[in-house]
Amino acid sequence: MKKNSIWTIALHDLKRWRKMPLTAACALIPPIAMTLVLVSLSLAVTQQPVALVVQGNGPASVQMAQIIKSDTEAYDLTITNAATANSMLQDEKVAAVITIPSTFDAQVANGTGKVLLTINNVDFDFSDDIRRSVDRSVVEFDAQGLVSDELINSSLPNVYHVALDEQYVRETNVDWFHYQLVPTFLLLVLNVGLVGTALMCALDTESKTARMLALSPQRSWVLISGRILGGVLACFAIVLPAVLIGVLVGFISPPIAQLPALFGIFLGTALCASCIGAIIGTCVKGSRYVAFLSSMTAIYLFLLGGGFTAIEFVPHWLQGVSAFIPTRYSIDALRQALFYLNPTGLPYSLLVLALYAIACVGVGALLMRRSWNT
Amino acid sequence: MRKNLRALLGGMNAELNRMRRSRLLIAIVVVQSVTFLILVTLFGMTGAYAPTALVNYDNGPLAQQFIHSLENDHHSFALIFMNNETAAKELVEQGVIVAMIVIPQGFSQSISEGKTVPVTVFIDNINTDMTDDIQRAMPAAVMSFGDALKFEGVNVSVAETDSYTHDTSFIDYMIASALVLDALIIAGTLSALSVAEEFESKTARLLAISPVHPLIPMMGRVVVTALVSAGALAITVIVALVSYGISPVQPLEMVLTLLFCVAIFSCLGAALGAIMKRTLPVALFVLGSALPLFLFSGSYEPQRFDGNLIWVAAHFSPEYYAVGLMENAVFNLKVTPEPLGLLALALVGWGIGALALAWFFSRRGFS
Repeated sequence: MKKNSIWTIALHDLKRWRKMPLTAACALIPPIAMTLVLVSLSLAVTQQPVALVVQGNGPASVQMAQIIKSDTEAYDLTITNAATANSMLQDEKVAAVITIPSTFDAQVANGTGKVLLTINNVDFDFSDDIRRSVDRSVVEFDAQGLVSDELINSSLPNVYHVALDEQYVRETNVDWFHYQLVPTFLLLVLNVGLVGTALMCALDTESKTARMLALSPQRSWVLISGRILGGVLACFAIVLPAVLIGVLVGFISPPIAQLPALFGIFLGTALCASCIGAIIGTCVKGSRYVAFLSSMTAIYLFLLGGGFTAIEFVPHWLQGVSAFIPTRYSIDALRQALFYLNPTGLPYSLLVLALYAIACVGVGALLMRRSWNT
Repeated sequence: MRKNLRALLGGMNAELNRMRRSRLLIAIVVVQSVTFLILVTLFGMTGAYAPTALVNYDNGPLAQQFIHSLENDHHSFALIFMNNETAAKELVEQGVIVAMIVIPQGFSQSISEGKTVPVTVFIDNINTDMTDDIQRAMPAAVMSFGDALKFEGVNVSVAETDSYTHDTSFIDYMIASALVLDALIIAGTLSALSVAEEFESKTARLLAISPVHPLIPMMGRVVVTALVSAGALAITVIVALVSYGISPVQPLEMVLTLLFCVAIFSCLGAALGAIMKRTLPVALFVLGSALPLFLFSGSYEPQRFDGNLIWVAAHFSPEYYAVGLMENAVFNLKVTPEPLGLLALALVGWGIGALALAWFFSRRGFS
């Protein structure tokens, strides 16, 4: 009987959500927009548009040009002459021009070879990427063994007298786009759960139906569970098709063994989102403020949880703040479950997420109950 | 004429009263714009200064030279000097830092004797982009080390020419463009909410039967939201410039650009409010679309570097022109192929277009 009541309340909330199609659609804008942004950024962060001018025609020039041409991960290369390259640089069609001068072979013969690099250095993010890539190409010319895909345990003698022995923490080859795309599923859950539940609570307060709930013959925990379940169901109704589409178009390929963990991650995040939404919806008066604050909170939880950055790069104080954000554990757990062969940190992230979900449900339920009496 | 002026002033007065009652909303919008500014710079942090532990077991001069090369390696590493290799490795495994570099004992001695010494680089390869950054940075440091010591057999080096005498940091670059995002959030939200509320509370119907044109009091409201937005944006600008230590090269150009942005986004917000007629979706829409619009406007690098398709698409947003002017005003950078005059002209065109849009959709809303 109580189970039926919980379902009825949850389904009622879903129906109310359906009656606000414009609001529901707007809640989907941030994750959709974020996906578009990631597609755009994935073009920007990996390759840089660079013009290559090869003026030398000796074997050294050819070898140098070949090294640069073969680094397709670093350069989006246009091979052209000096005048066109310069014009492309002025028109911002390329970010830099690499020139192998006509005297290159002669210079190399006496140990003074120079590769000329002209950069539009408006900011040092992409200009440093180009500098590092050109340096690497130049190093490869003199010490081929120092730059290769098989750097692990590379200790061949070279002219720089330094060999690089690279070791990796994990077995993975996930690229930037997929690494960044995965958290957008959680942004979807956050936005729908937070905005949806917050608005339901706010509308109850505004229309005074919250007071009626206090008089209901149902126990308060049944009503509260129904509201939270409604938020969670709304999240799943949106995120499951999104995940399916992601699988169908090949954006993600969840391992079968990790499906229970994935369910746990989405459930934990949806519970946190719904209950934080309930807290905002009951503590803030006015649906306009509630909509604004809940959407803002979803974006903050996403960004502070490492949804748009690698958390290792942020200052230590911000890493400290991030440790108290539940989405940090959702995002980490999701990446581990989807990308890493040996997700050793997954149980810990799931445990912390579960604790956060319990805490959020506790606080959310308490505040919701109290709001009916005011 | 006098009637129209009175209607305009009446609209302004009504909006002022509403704003007085909505101090919380203004506070939220200002706080949000400041924190958004900080949060967008999070992305800027991944581009440089990878936090890297350096464990040095060699006290010789060549080890010091190698560390110097790492420190000056195109803003690649933020070195954390550690003595304990196990502890450093744990920090990498825990995701606190990105990598660990170990200079072995006898590094200087072996290199002096002409031997090749392996340097261990332990990387948290959470994604290929981050791994690539380290993989490119290490050979660059090795090259700089070789250049400094003029090793025999090193035949090629790089001769660089830069378009600008100094590099602008990625975060500073993003801050200048993020101020345009703030203008969008503040002005767009306040005006859209104001107009949408007119329709939601049904006062729009009363205006429709008033003796003056209903758009005039509506414009009065938008003028006030624009003025309040300009004030709120001024707070944000001061906070941003002071906290990041940025002093604009052309302050007047910066102020004019931002004021224009406020005017444009106020008008666009008004049009949006008239289209949606509801305050709830309006708030969500402005917030949701702000970040992608910002990122598609040349906010992190000149947009043309991302390819012609994205560059052409960016022209459909006023932020593209505003960011071009802002980067010039704050850092004297030219980030668009179009000349500054054309950007300013385009922004004026956007202003006129936005006003026309606000007028058109409000009129449609009244009818």
